Amino acid sequence: MKRRKLLALTLAMTSMLTFTMTGCGKSSEVSSNDKSEKNGKTEVNIFQFKVEVAKELENAANEYMKEKPDVKINIETVGGGEDYGAALKAKFKSGKEPTIFNVGGPQDVEDWKGKLEDLTNEPWVGKVLPGMLDGVTMDGKVYGLPFSVEGYGLIYNKRIFQAAGIDGSKIDSYAKLEEAVKTIDSKIKSGALKKDFPKLEAVFEFPAKEKWVTGLHTSNAALGQEFKSSIDSYKSKTVDFKYSEGYKKLIDLQANYSPNGKSKEKLNAVDYSTQVDQGIAIERVAIVQQGNWIYGGVKAIDEKVANNLDILPMSIQGGKEDCIPVGIPMHWAINKNQSDKSKAAAKDFLNWLYTSDKGKDFVVNKFFFIPALKGYENYKPQDSLGKAIQRYIEAGKTTPWVFMGYPTAWGENVLGANIQKYLSGKMTWDELVKDSKAQWESKRK
Amino acid sequence: MNKDSRKWFIIFVAPALFAFIVVVLIPVIMGIIYSFTSWNGIEDKANWIGLSNYIEIIKDDKTFFSSFLFTAKFAIVSVITINVMGFVLALLVTRGLKISNGLRGIFFLPNLIGGLILGFIWQFIFTKGFDFIGAALGIDFLRGWLADPTTGFWGLVILMSWQMSGYMMVIYISGLQNIPDDIIEAAKIDGASDGQILRRIIIPLVSPAFTIGIFLTLSNSFKLYDQNLSLTAGGPYNSTEMIAMNIYNSAFKYNEFGIAQAKAVIFLIIIAAITLTQMYYSKKREVEM
Repeated sequence: MKRRKLLALTLAMTSMLTFTMTGCGKSSEVSSNDKSEKNGKTEVNIFQFKVEVAKELENAANEYMKEKPDVKINIETVGGGEDYGAALKAKFKSGKEPTIFNVGGPQDVEDWKGKLEDLTNEPWVGKVLPGMLDGVTMDGKVYGLPFSVEGYGLIYNKRIFQAAGIDGSKIDSYAKLEEAVKTIDSKIKSGALKKDFPKLEAVFEFPAKEKWVTGLHTSNAALGQEFKSSIDSYKSKTVDFKYSEGYKKLIDLQANYSPNGKSKEKLNAVDYSTQVDQGIAIERVAIVQQGNWIYGGVKAIDEKVANNLDILPMSIQGGKEDCIPVGIPMHWAINKNQSDKSKAAAKDFLNWLYTSDKGKDFVVNKFFFIPALKGYENYKPQDSLGKAIQRYIEAGKTTPWVFMGYPTAWGENVLGANIQKYLSGKMTWDELVKDSKAQWESKRK
Repeated sequence: MNKDSRKWFIIFVAPALFAFIVVVLIPVIMGIIYSFTSWNGIEDKANWIGLSNYIEIIKDDKTFFSSFLFTAKFAIVSVITINVMGFVLALLVTRGLKISNGLRGIFFLPNLIGGLILGFIWQFIFTKGFDFIGAALGIDFLRGWLADPTTGFWGLVILMSWQMSGYMMVIYISGLQNIPDDIIEAAKIDGASDGQILRRIIIPLVSPAFTIGIFLTLSNSFKLYDQNLSLTAGGPYNSTEMIAMNIYNSAFKYNEFGIAQAKAVIFLIIIAAITLTQMYYSKKREVEM
């Protein structure tokens, strides 16, 4: 008898506890209100993913707090190798919802819509460069402030090109690219470059293990000409692979002239650090398909190499051959369910960071961002790759990032995985296109 | 007296029971409830959709089935290698060699390193170390490990055997040391060979240890996640994606929490069925002294 009573008691206690806990979750608005005005200060909690700028962001926040002593900014960073999306979900579920967090493209906006504050009337909205808000605009409302502009292409080592007698800046078509690659390849094989570049062993390094490189970035070079923006790809029920041949050639070229060109299935074990840290940075290869984010890493290994990097276009034969894909990797967003005071402070901080002189200095010179806003005439990127991206933007030779609008995980787990099968000979190119098309449609039905 | 013991029973059991209910029972029940919804992991509300998640998994989801097969294959192979290695190591260090204690420490050491780090260490060995040796000696077999499903599979098996066999060794040592010396001495006097002693006396007498060892390795191999993540991350082309990773990916990459929960429920039932059957049969085989 007693035992049964005990069980009932424990059950009652636990259910009570659960109810109180859910109760806490429900009343988070009230409690965060109380919390945000602790010690008379308005608290702004930032949960962001860019590990590279975590420290400088802290400094920027301190600078801001000097100007606004009644605001307290707390920064938490989860990113790098870690899964920001999963961490963010856990953070929200824990009840300690951040004030400022990051969202990627249209899919993120759709998923998080219930939490996003409408930022349409913020002062910086009018200053954003054309097209750069596409990914976070939904039903005419703006939900995010672009972090920065990033771009990628075929990053090459200018010194190796010079030694091989090639002027990289003249390459603006697939034919010229292929010719240059063949020239360098023959010079590597004949040993003509051995003296100056003893480690050089191939033209490309192609990290097929990193499915984001092949499935998102390389594919975007082709699909970025098929779709007009990430919203366009997000809304599309089908994908045509209009430039499938050009896409195939770009992949084949990189795979065939890599150190594993003769046994391409081995490329499936080549990762980012083999490509960048143990590849282009030590002059083991001449070209890698990567973006301006690698600058810091290469610089840490060999500054001379880093300063001699430049970018070749992602030539898609039959489409645009002289462009690189440029886009916004992430956006700052504000949590709708916070106290008005805290939201106002968060908005003011973001505005300060991207439009005041001090903030601009941080954005360009400390974070090494290429801003997506006007009014940065006096703040130009200083690093070789940032300059190269700026050059492409100014010349108008860019294609949009549409991979943000691919169906969830399609780019990596379908297309990227199919490319691995293609490289190991388990799938022909036609099968790859057919399967990827079918899976796009089934995810969008 | 009786009343007293009941009071003590309550005092001792209540805290543990409370903890068990809060951290195990309630989450399991909530998880089962979520498996009947189309929750995406972000929204506050979850729509009830009945059994459709289960139907979709069984009917359409080929990846779940293939990762299940891969996991089962891995579990069978690694249970054998881990337990055989663990048992052999245990025999080795109970022979009374002078360096026995040192060896025990060395064999147990890999178990103290976290799974994620181990994965990265072995990834380096397989992709860089093997490749270097293969290139130097001209053995093509050693090159390009982890780049195809077969080497990915054996890579995982090697990693897990290396890590877990030390732990199993400890269990088997305690089993071996519980065998009274007089039985073995008697067998020797009766003229039994070493092989006969091993087969007829030692193995039957340590079978309780085998029950535990096989149970632990079986359930660990099925639930494996971190070594899988850091060694191959499911690649190439998701061919080495084990079931735990498959579930995690549905939840956090595809934002399909409902489906992930349903998969987890199916997974729970299957593991429970397999391990309980194993326990039942192993228990039956155990010999009482």
